[in-house]
Amino acid sequence: MILFDFGYERAATAEDAVARLARLGCDARLLAGGTDLLPSMRSELVMPATLISLKAIAPEAPCLGAGGSLRIDALTRLADLERSELVRERLPMLAVAARAVGSNQIREMGTLGGNLCQETRCLYLNQRHDYQFAAPCFKRGGECCYPFPRNKRDVCWSVYMSDVAPALIALDASIEILGANGTRRVGVEELFSGSGLRPLNLEPAELLRAVSVPARPARCGWGFHKSSVRGGLEFGMAVCAVSLRLEADGQTCAEARVALGAVRERPVRAAAAERLLAGSVLDKARLAQAAAEAAKEANALPHHGFTKRHLTDNLRVYVRRTLEQALERARKEERAC
Amino acid sequence: MLKTDNESRAALKAPAQVVSLCVNGEWSELAVKPRTTLIEAIRDLIGLTGTKASCESGTCGACTVLADGRPVLSCLTLAVECDGMEVRTVEGLAEGDKLNPLQEAFLDHGAVQCGFCTSGMLMSATALLERDPKPDREAINKALEGNLCRCTGYNGIVDALLAASGQPVKARTE
Repeated sequence: MILFDFGYERAATAEDAVARLARLGCDARLLAGGTDLLPSMRSELVMPATLISLKAIAPEAPCLGAGGSLRIDALTRLADLERSELVRERLPMLAVAARAVGSNQIREMGTLGGNLCQETRCLYLNQRHDYQFAAPCFKRGGECCYPFPRNKRDVCWSVYMSDVAPALIALDASIEILGANGTRRVGVEELFSGSGLRPLNLEPAELLRAVSVPARPARCGWGFHKSSVRGGLEFGMAVCAVSLRLEADGQTCAEARVALGAVRERPVRAAAAERLLAGSVLDKARLAQAAAEAAKEANALPHHGFTKRHLTDNLRVYVRRTLEQALERARKEERAC
Repeated sequence: MLKTDNESRAALKAPAQVVSLCVNGEWSELAVKPRTTLIEAIRDLIGLTGTKASCESGTCGACTVLADGRPVLSCLTLAVECDGMEVRTVEGLAEGDKLNPLQEAFLDHGAVQCGFCTSGMLMSATALLERDPKPDREAINKALEGNLCRCTGYNGIVDALLAASGQPVKARTE
């Protein structure tokens, strides 16, 4: 039940949605699947004056572009993404990541773009603030921080929990952002500001239009793991997505991408671990060393009852395992992964 | 942080909109506010109370209905978004007083205890069986991951789905 009134408009096209956003200013929000926005409105974390529904815009099916890159409409529902033959064949990691999100119903409703643009979370932020937590926290415009009482600065250490974003970063994807002045294209990583107060680098009148993932080169392998307590219907405890490309000898790493999710205000690239891997001969010891480095540099924020130590240990184990998976896949697969 | 101050909110009159909704094959025209959720429309305006509201934040699945064949959470769907859509609720499963095979299987395999999750469970199960007529245990578990049941321990529910799809159910020895 949403306890306040708001206006409702339907945009006919993506351009129309942007024009409406520009006209209504920052009091308007876009509504796609609604699985993140409506709970936020219910807890009055977000109180838009108008919702601009994207319901009338039919998503384009995923299609192959120049050089074998795959363009996926941001309005594609996660369930359709996970079922798409093209995505499963070309980008199995993305299909697996989409399948790891929420629950069956959440995936049938939620869209790829909505998943990327989701609100950050903490145990206190995403619930109503009118009884247990009467004083608003920093993110709600107040003067306190419930999970970190010694946090006196105006910062928010809530955690960005998309499962799909780390996979897209590991796949080196880029996004198309439609604004009043046309389309701009940036890497997925540049979508995230790193600030819990305002996690996305999107202007008020911008819309995430599509995601493009480049073709996977030869001798390339992937690994993905989402840790959670129940294994379903849950936000991640820590998410690891890795991609490895091997040299022709099948031993040396040409390129490594390690992305970690649900540990900071934004998905984290483990740059030091990637440097350890690139150019070196991959054996178990090397992968374990890189995993330890990744866990350290993630500098995980304690969240939802998981301590920093627990999350660091978790990452050390699961980054190693996903790297081992990726190496195995890279060796097995002659061509694309 | 996005908040509208009280003055502009008071000035904001969200007029009721008329939406047509086909629930279980019957079209109705409803005047709803943008903030009215689908479950409020189904329960309070149409009067079909089989669909249950529980967490109202997308974390339990009790309110699952089928909207144009997709299992969706009616507590996180605005009624205005469903204009012109076909919605199926638990009341649409039985034919008169005759339960459908899935409902019979739920009764036969002890898949119902307190019953609060049952309507959502049945709708998720219906969506699964329409997509995949012979799901294995793993597929059933995945399809029902969004429906919480605090009574049955789920085994009865999974057995009921196996039975309803004509697959053998292993007898449990407890």
